[in-house]
Amino acid sequence: MSDEPTPPPLPVPTLPPSSGREERRATALLLLLAALVLASVLYVLYARGAFEPTQRLVLMAEDSEGVVVGMDLTFSGFPIGRVRRTELAADGNVRILVDVPRKDAHWLRTSSVFTMTRGLVGGTAIRAYSGILTDPPLPDGAERPVLAGDASAEIPRLMSAARDLLANLGRLTADESALSTTLANLQRATGRLDEQLAGKRGALGALLGDDAPQVAATLARTQQLLTRLDGLVQRTDGVVARADGKLLGDKGLVDDAQAAVRQLNQLLAEARTSLQKVDGLLQDAQAVAANARVASADLGALRAEVDASLRKVEQLVNDLERRWPFKRDPELKLP
Amino acid sequence: MMTGMQAAASPLRTLAHGLRQRGRVTWRVLQLGAMVILLALSPSSWRAPWRRPLAVQLVRAALPLLPWFTLLAAILSLVIIRIVLVTAQSYGLSQYALEMVVRVLVLELIPLTAAFAVAVRVTVPMAAELAQARQVGRLERVRAQGADPLRTEIAPRALAGIFCVLLLAAVSSLVALVLAYVLAHGFTPFAFERYTRLVGQVFNPVVSLVFVLKTGALALAVSVVPIGAALHAREAGLAGLELQGLVRMFMVVLAIEVAGLAGNHF
Repeated sequence: MSDEPTPPPLPVPTLPPSSGREERRATALLLLLAALVLASVLYVLYARGAFEPTQRLVLMAEDSEGVVVGMDLTFSGFPIGRVRRTELAADGNVRILVDVPRKDAHWLRTSSVFTMTRGLVGGTAIRAYSGILTDPPLPDGAERPVLAGDASAEIPRLMSAARDLLANLGRLTADESALSTTLANLQRATGRLDEQLAGKRGALGALLGDDAPQVAATLARTQQLLTRLDGLVQRTDGVVARADGKLLGDKGLVDDAQAAVRQLNQLLAEARTSLQKVDGLLQDAQAVAANARVASADLGALRAEVDASLRKVEQLVNDLERRWPFKRDPELKLP
Repeated sequence: MMTGMQAAASPLRTLAHGLRQRGRVTWRVLQLGAMVILLALSPSSWRAPWRRPLAVQLVRAALPLLPWFTLLAAILSLVIIRIVLVTAQSYGLSQYALEMVVRVLVLELIPLTAAFAVAVRVTVPMAAELAQARQVGRLERVRAQGADPLRTEIAPRALAGIFCVLLLAAVSSLVALVLAYVLAHGFTPFAFERYTRLVGQVFNPVVSLVFVLKTGALALAVSVVPIGAALHAREAGLAGLELQGLVRMFMVVLAIEVAGLAGNHF
């Protein structure tokens, strides 16, 4: 390029005379391309969240499998954050650094729970659950554990359980199994039932075999017994009706009892009066007894006086006897 | 004895000659590509008097192709988006359908289609023009008049091809993105945020870089390879030259695609 001639008028033989039209068109096309490229770059930057203020959330997981940079953190199905980086922590756990736009950060609270699930088809999903939206908002740079749920990890356990179930099912449906025997018995029973139903003995014959006539006779006798029992009940009913008449009818037992009770009541009233009189008598007797007690007290004193008088009389008699020498009869007779 | 050795040496010599010739042409094509890039980056090319041939070739290449290629890309995108959406829905995987559409169409198919369309409609005919001009000695005449045929004839055509590929790819990608949105969500603005997020997820830095590099490399390949082959190949015959250019270009495009896939997925 260094040996390129630099004369000002350069002949351009293949072109028509300049009109400027092509240049304007070319400029327009170039501007269109530039505008498209610029718009695409700006749109992709906007789509990747380059223009929105974010806050950092650090999720601690045991395993970063399936977590890719740029994947979403969703809340109720809406993406509210992007994974910016994953790194190993000092303790061997995985730190998943998530950028949450400030305008969506209010969905995350201090009580929020984060889960990471791996589906059978498709990628891993990180979800946030905020049960109590009135709790304080999650601070910038907060570290939270993430609970991992792995659908594919369940498959071996599920397969093992399914294998057991199938083995059990196989045993159940085997030729010598209990279920098979039961079914065979049932089939035999239904066959016999069918035969009996076709004959005259019916289901009872199928169930009881040769004992069926006895059962039928027992049933007939039971029916006769029931008929007689019915007559008995009717007679008992008549007896009860008569007893009812005797008891509750005119001049029945109840009426007599009522009259007797009335008389008894009267007798009791009279007895009460008699008792009141007895009570008065007793009171009089009590007064008499009191007088008698007083009288018996006086009687004691009187007896003492009589004793004293008698002793004086005795002394007098003794005195007389001594003085009266021709005493004939010394016996003193008391009046 | 001598004749037997000559007969044995003859195919080897032919092979060596062919390889040398091929290497020479490849080297010349690479040189031409480097010069075209340098000229595109030097401001003097965009000033008079070189601006005019460039503008003429740009308009001549892009303007007739733009409407019908946009229409073609729209129809192709419509069919592919519809097929992917319906298939994904029938498998219950509709949440991955849009991402797949964006990846397949915008990242892979549209740049390739644009490159081939420009090759077939623009650069291969231009290469044929140049080969004819070379054959009839017009390039020599230009050089004899004191002008540089690289600046007046060759570079404008190559730059026009590059520009054309970039423009078509940009316009068709935009059309495909809009069609994908409309077909997936209908005429509603409320899914825009989620769609934007999905596009953002698809265009991560690595994928974006590979996309830009791949599109640029495709544009350069389909513009420079046919023109370089036409200018430097020795064989006569316009049809043979065109075919040679096409085969070379196809090989280079294939290599670029493989490199792009490797960059995207490994």
